[in-house]
Amino acid sequence: MIKKYLKNTALVFSIAAASCVVMAQEEAVTIYGVKSLSGSFASYGKYADMGSKLAVEQYGQVLGKTPSYMSIDTEGNAGKALRKVQEAINQNSAKFFNGGTLSSTSLAIGKEINKSGGVFITPAGADELTGVDCNTSTFRWSVPTYGAIRETVVPLLKEHPEKKRWYTITPQYVFGEALLSNAKAVFDELGIEHVGNSYHSLQEQEFSGYVTNAMAAKPDVLLLLNFGSQSSNALRQAINFGLKNQMTILVTWSSGLEQFQELGADITENVYFGAQYWHTVDTPLNNKLVKEVKDTYGITPNYPLAADYISTKLLLDAIVEAGTTTPSDVIKVLEGKSYEGPTGTEIVRAADHQVLKNYYLLKGKSPSEMKNADDFAEIVSYGKSFPDESSLECKGM
Amino acid sequence: MNKKTSIFGGVTIIALALMVLMPILLPSVTLATEILIFALAALACNLLLGYTGLLSFGQGIFFGGGAYSASLVMLHLNFGLISALITAILVGALLALIVGALAIRRTGIYFVMLTLSFSQMAYFLAYTFSDWTGGDNGLLDVPRPALTLFGMTISDLQSSEAFYIFVAAVFAIVFVFSRRVIHSPFGTTLVAIRENEGRSSAVGFSTNHFKLVAFVISGAITGLAGALYAMLLNFAPLSNVELLMSENILIMTIIGGTSSLIGSILGAGSIVLMGDLLSSIWPRWMMILGAVLIAVVLFLPGGLWGGILSLTSKFPWKKVKTNVTSEVTK
Repeated sequence: MIKKYLKNTALVFSIAAASCVVMAQEEAVTIYGVKSLSGSFASYGKYADMGSKLAVEQYGQVLGKTPSYMSIDTEGNAGKALRKVQEAINQNSAKFFNGGTLSSTSLAIGKEINKSGGVFITPAGADELTGVDCNTSTFRWSVPTYGAIRETVVPLLKEHPEKKRWYTITPQYVFGEALLSNAKAVFDELGIEHVGNSYHSLQEQEFSGYVTNAMAAKPDVLLLLNFGSQSSNALRQAINFGLKNQMTILVTWSSGLEQFQELGADITENVYFGAQYWHTVDTPLNNKLVKEVKDTYGITPNYPLAADYISTKLLLDAIVEAGTTTPSDVIKVLEGKSYEGPTGTEIVRAADHQVLKNYYLLKGKSPSEMKNADDFAEIVSYGKSFPDESSLECKGM
Repeated sequence: MNKKTSIFGGVTIIALALMVLMPILLPSVTLATEILIFALAALACNLLLGYTGLLSFGQGIFFGGGAYSASLVMLHLNFGLISALITAILVGALLALIVGALAIRRTGIYFVMLTLSFSQMAYFLAYTFSDWTGGDNGLLDVPRPALTLFGMTISDLQSSEAFYIFVAAVFAIVFVFSRRVIHSPFGTTLVAIRENEGRSSAVGFSTNHFKLVAFVISGAITGLAGALYAMLLNFAPLSNVELLMSENILIMTIIGGTSSLIGSILGAGSIVLMGDLLSSIWPRWMMILGAVLIAVVLFLPGGLWGGILSLTSKFPWKKVKTNVTSEVTK
């Protein structure tokens, strides 16, 4: 009798334990998208959010369950973003995050996610993410300032070897300084004469003073090292002052299609732009992405959409490959992972969690050359340039 | 009104009740903590705007100054919780002394413009000295030290609940202190200065000294709020010293109700909650905030707290009304 009772009890416990294991296995994956859906960067966050949503919706099953997606609105404020990420971690046991476009937001939430042992993939620009402030949880998809400069300045000089006098306009903050120091290193290597630099503040929107300084220096190339609305305004004002006819203009870190649409082909014609992504890149995943985005949203994918799409997809792929939602196992899968991304074969470098991918040099087409409304530029060159592993500042892995 | 009613009774009890209810009713404890921290900043702003009549756009200087100073002494000098908070209070007070000493020499629009200029200057200083402040990336890895008293650890404050209780305790102390200040002869002199500076001066008060002391108290409390915010986030972003921060603190004060300390909680709560709820519905939710601000200024001059008081005055519980209406000084 006792034996039978023990046997039955053991059976009941076994079934209960097995159900617990099954339930644990069936835990649905939720990806938390940290996006600036309101505030100053809302236009960027909207596309980034669309990219992440699309990746989750089209993914299918992850570990036997349909994955879900939740947006966290940063309100364009790093403090708000951090508090909301803390809430997601504390209340929902959130583990998988992507987004965080602003460098300050990404750096801060990357640290917070690392504290809780989660995983975070970001397209943010700050080199510190995979440099001095790197950590085991944070991965970066975007090419760092080193690669952005090398993949734009070097091919432009190859195309125009006679253009040896360059002038720079730089935003005086960490990102701008990083671009400038990389540019100076390339200038020294290639024998380019750096005829002058104008610094401007983070809030500057009026660039005519800097443009006239550049004109006075009579350079062959004007290199704009600012980003977003600042680079658009600087470019617009440079063209209003007639600089396009006097020198070549290169915007090293553009925001891609969105910036072309904002400026219009009359302004972007014959101007060179550096870009993390361009929709005409002929790779299997990009062709698929362009089609899916057109079918779903009726638009051509731009940089924020593509960056957050691939970050989300990469995260889901890694979870499936790990066969578990345990972040440490997912991190192990991500480290060194090679996959087909929108820019071709992309590799996640284990040493600093930087994705090694192509960066593009584009040249603006004239309105008459455009085959469709989004055919603003031709790809002049592309390639991968990253600092050697021996010179990495990342010591946190 | 007796002292007990003015300091520990009336609105103090309502403030305590709100502090107890917030973590229960709100979606998260960290949200409640953020509201209380901004309520502290709004309360400090109220001492200037509501009780002294000084519209300062410099509150972000003290908030950011408190956040940076507390973070730096914890990061580089291994200061503990209390000593870091005291540093933030002193830095906030010192910055307010410097800004106030120069700004109160002018009145009206010139005073406002001076505080605006100081605010911009502070932002660019923080932005320029990026080795100390982290520049636009912000100051990362800010610790949240344990609460220790006489060498004994009371709490490590790592859980959001424990930190909320600590912030609530700090808020309660500052609230009672502020009530004491506004109901003291000093506080009534501030109100007199607000009502008629010329007459106050004529009867012998050194109005500039009074305004300067109000500025210093406000700066000290705002600095404390900034330090608590850095500890909450483990991060001191550059946005702490932006003009937008000063504007937000002012809007919280006005929406909650000037001349009403309890209104600070309502103002901070409504702005932080509106951001959380409306931003997910409509990206341009700040337009709603603008409309709310216009509506409050036009139809609720006493702010949300003033509106609540006018509503309650229509009901029979007169006793409550007499206890709390004194909070809104006409």
